[in-house]
Amino acid sequence: MRQKSPFLYCGKKLLSFLLSVFLLSVAVFYAARLAPGDPLVSYYGDRAEKMTSQERAWAEARLGLDQPIYVQYARWLENAARGDFGISYKYKMDVAEVIAARLPNTLILGGISFVLIFTGALVLGALCVWNEGKWLDRFICKVGTVVSCIPEFWLSLVLILVFAVLLRWLPSSGAYTIGGGGVADRAAHLALPLAVAVAGHLWYYAYMIRNKLLEEVRADYVLLAKSKGLGSRAVLLRHCLRGVMPTYLSLMAISVPHILGGTYIIETVFSYPGIGTLSYESARYQDYNLLMLLCLLSGGLVIFCNILAQMINERIDPRMRSEEPPEVSDRE
Amino acid sequence: MDEMLLDVQELTHCFRLGRNRVLRAVDGVSFQMRKGEIFGLVGESGSGKSTTAKCVMNILRPTGGKIRYLGVNICDPKQFRAHRELLQTSRQMIFQDSTSSLNPRMTVAEIISEPMSIHHIRPPRGSLRAEAAFQLKCVGMDPGYLDKRPPELSGGQRQRVAIARALSMGPELLVADEPIASLDVSIQAQIINLFKHLQREHGFTFLFIAHDLAVVRYLCDRVGVMFQGKLVELAPAAELFARPLHPYTQALLSAIPIPDPRRERARVIQRFDPAGFSREGVWTEASPGHLVLRKEKDT
Amino acid sequence: MSELLEVKNLSVSFRTPQGEVEAVRDVSFSLHPGEVLAIVGESGCGKSVLCKSIMKLLPRSAWIKGGTILADGADITQYRQRDMERLRGRLFSMVFQDPLTALNPTMTIGAQIAEAVRVHQPRTEKAVVRRRVLELMDLVGISGGEDRCGRYPHDFSGGMRQRAVMAVALASSPKILFADEPTTALDVTVQAQILDLLREIQSRLGTATVLVTHDLGVVARAADRVAVMYAGKIVETGTAEDIFYDPRHPYTWGLLRSLPAWARDGEPLYTIPGMPPTLIHPPRGDAFACRNEYALAIDYQEAPPMFQISDSHFAATWLLDERAPKVRPPMGGEGRG
Repeated sequence: MRQKSPFLYCGKKLLSFLLSVFLLSVAVFYAARLAPGDPLVSYYGDRAEKMTSQERAWAEARLGLDQPIYVQYARWLENAARGDFGISYKYKMDVAEVIAARLPNTLILGGISFVLIFTGALVLGALCVWNEGKWLDRFICKVGTVVSCIPEFWLSLVLILVFAVLLRWLPSSGAYTIGGGGVADRAAHLALPLAVAVAGHLWYYAYMIRNKLLEEVRADYVLLAKSKGLGSRAVLLRHCLRGVMPTYLSLMAISVPHILGGTYIIETVFSYPGIGTLSYESARYQDYNLLMLLCLLSGGLVIFCNILAQMINERIDPRMRSEEPPEVSDRE
Repeated sequence: MDEMLLDVQELTHCFRLGRNRVLRAVDGVSFQMRKGEIFGLVGESGSGKSTTAKCVMNILRPTGGKIRYLGVNICDPKQFRAHRELLQTSRQMIFQDSTSSLNPRMTVAEIISEPMSIHHIRPPRGSLRAEAAFQLKCVGMDPGYLDKRPPELSGGQRQRVAIARALSMGPELLVADEPIASLDVSIQAQIINLFKHLQREHGFTFLFIAHDLAVVRYLCDRVGVMFQGKLVELAPAAELFARPLHPYTQALLSAIPIPDPRRERARVIQRFDPAGFSREGVWTEASPGHLVLRKEKDT
Repeated sequence: MSELLEVKNLSVSFRTPQGEVEAVRDVSFSLHPGEVLAIVGESGCGKSVLCKSIMKLLPRSAWIKGGTILADGADITQYRQRDMERLRGRLFSMVFQDPLTALNPTMTIGAQIAEAVRVHQPRTEKAVVRRRVLELMDLVGISGGEDRCGRYPHDFSGGMRQRAVMAVALASSPKILFADEPTTALDVTVQAQILDLLREIQSRLGTATVLVTHDLGVVARAADRVAVMYAGKIVETGTAEDIFYDPRHPYTWGLLRSLPAWARDGEPLYTIPGMPPTLIHPPRGDAFACRNEYALAIDYQEAPPMFQISDSHFAATWLLDERAPKVRPPMGGEGRG
């Protein structure tokens, strides 16, 4: 595809990204302050409840909570632009540091489950199509339907009950044993959350890929490929999978937020010290600055992935180029 | 007698292909249609014949030029609004692929009577259903098909239903875009006969778009030949097939297959080189009613 | 002459929710080396299914009910997909109606031809493959192969795409080429070019061709022999001259008479009344009987056998039985039109 000016194109996308993130920050900032609750509790703990009104006013002034919301927002924006996102009320630390400590855990859980889900989905989809209509295909589809109907938190609880409580093979919570922390220890802690994350999402994507692949297998070019003597497996792997790739890529981009959202729930159930549990806590304790940065991070990621998916779709949509007259014509 | 129904003047339609690239799909096309004639528009795919039809039907908005239908300039939004009822009821279109142009979930009776109920027309034959049955008989189908749905019908029957739907509004002008291209030979003949019958007995006017020249020769009164968005020749059908003047028309006519092995194999196909095609030419009247686009120096 | 392909009493059916569709019923024909056999009929008559069943390219819902297929001396009726893969490309290959959908839109033309070259010689060197690709492109009339093999199908016009499809089909020098409506999706001006290319290839490489079409103009231009199919059966076979100048089956008469090319001014076109039967429960007797103005009582009872008219000419109609009344054919003879 010939894009006249790639700079302009990327500039437009970047602008729409920044605008979306800005609107998101405004929305989160207002919504957090409108929610009932007392931010001072998270900063001063139980002491906040025994404060006199004078002390409260002083504390609020210190945290900058006495001003109108738009002034607070303007100040936050000004600081954020300089890279200062404020301190966490609960941890009394720079919010960036708080998040930096937890982020790797979530990245490991989310990243590995993402890779597993998409390799698994492709393999299962291809397997189904290869055995279309036979027992394996039907079995995979049935299992998928059943498993994707099970709520994640319930599945998590059952797995904890079986593997952690009854069998005592795997730990029930956390990311590593306190004090310990070898690779094996980490893997043992990851096993259950990963299993839930993959089981929850795998089937849906496998099913999408199966359907798309079935469409490709029925295309005319498969007949030509077969009639030139290509084996069925080569046709499936070399021709049809290639046709599925654009869908696969955009599916991957769109799915990031879904899988991320799923990870948050799983982290909470398994008390896994990641961004998910942190988000939950920050919302619960009115830890405004922390909540703000977390929302911006995950929201920014979601917006980025959506724009990415949109760009992938624009690039691969054959309709974008079909309007142009063919360059190689009949008359020589 | 020769009342003008449609007058297309210098019609131009451009498609934008991304930045700075424009395809002139229709380029300065002018022709007139009289009431009760079958006007054929032929050319290869991409020559702009369908785009012309869509402009005539107000499906596409022309980039330039004028289309007058019964004296109304249909490209002017003000005039269009003033005559909306007339324009929407008296022009009807029939598409190539009746599989996709008919809603598979509606019955034949619903399909045929839908335009009438949209325009709140009191059915002259009592009920909408009676009207649908009448139109179905008009196109040679048994009213027993009224409660069938398109997927239960054959290609030829579907195309008849599409024609019946178009006829239900009592149109003046029927625009048929490759109406028989997807049908079998023996069914094609039935539909062609139906068109001819509708013209002769009921006086309908057709704008008939086709690439099958043998059909055009048989069916049409006058024919326009299009190439790369330009109308290159316009003549009465018999005249055009007897004395084609433009080199492209000659090439096109020489490509008509003859269902006779000896003559077909002896047939020499003329090639037309698009490099030698000049878009700038002068409309000249070679003989009465026979117009051709000629290079300036030839005239 | 030894036959390259011999089909005997072949029947093919499809499973559908409505019941068994008998798409091909008791069809026998043979193909000599180096000839062009046209199979003519309306949509749904089974002509395309017939070709695909020989190459075993039909979906799983189809199965061969009976009959035998002898290809190059071997009985391939019971061959499995694995066995067929060895034959496809080398013994027979296929060209399809719509060249745009027949080519993989995500692969370059060159890559698709190269793949076809390499199928049966996986260890061919890159340079040799490339030379062969260019040679094939030249053979089918795509000039400037060097530049164009890196292009994608959507960069090509309809006629050029069909040439590319032919290059793919011819890559392993098949002895038989099935061409399924190869010109239907193309403009009139390009149709004849593709047909002439088919003939040229057939004379240069000696490839026998089965040309499936509904267009009698195409048949007239390209075919040596013709088989007319109706409702899953071959109703008449003969040389092109036999069929066009001396047709014997009422269905062939009808097909020829309904062509606008033969219409006289002012007269309506001839039409065959009615519609082809559905093949779920095909009628007893002759399937064409109810549309046939020359039908005899026996047509409704018993399907007619193939009557021989000459060495090359056969037709399945009771009109050729010696007990039948003599009918003056409405078509045929030379010097029409």
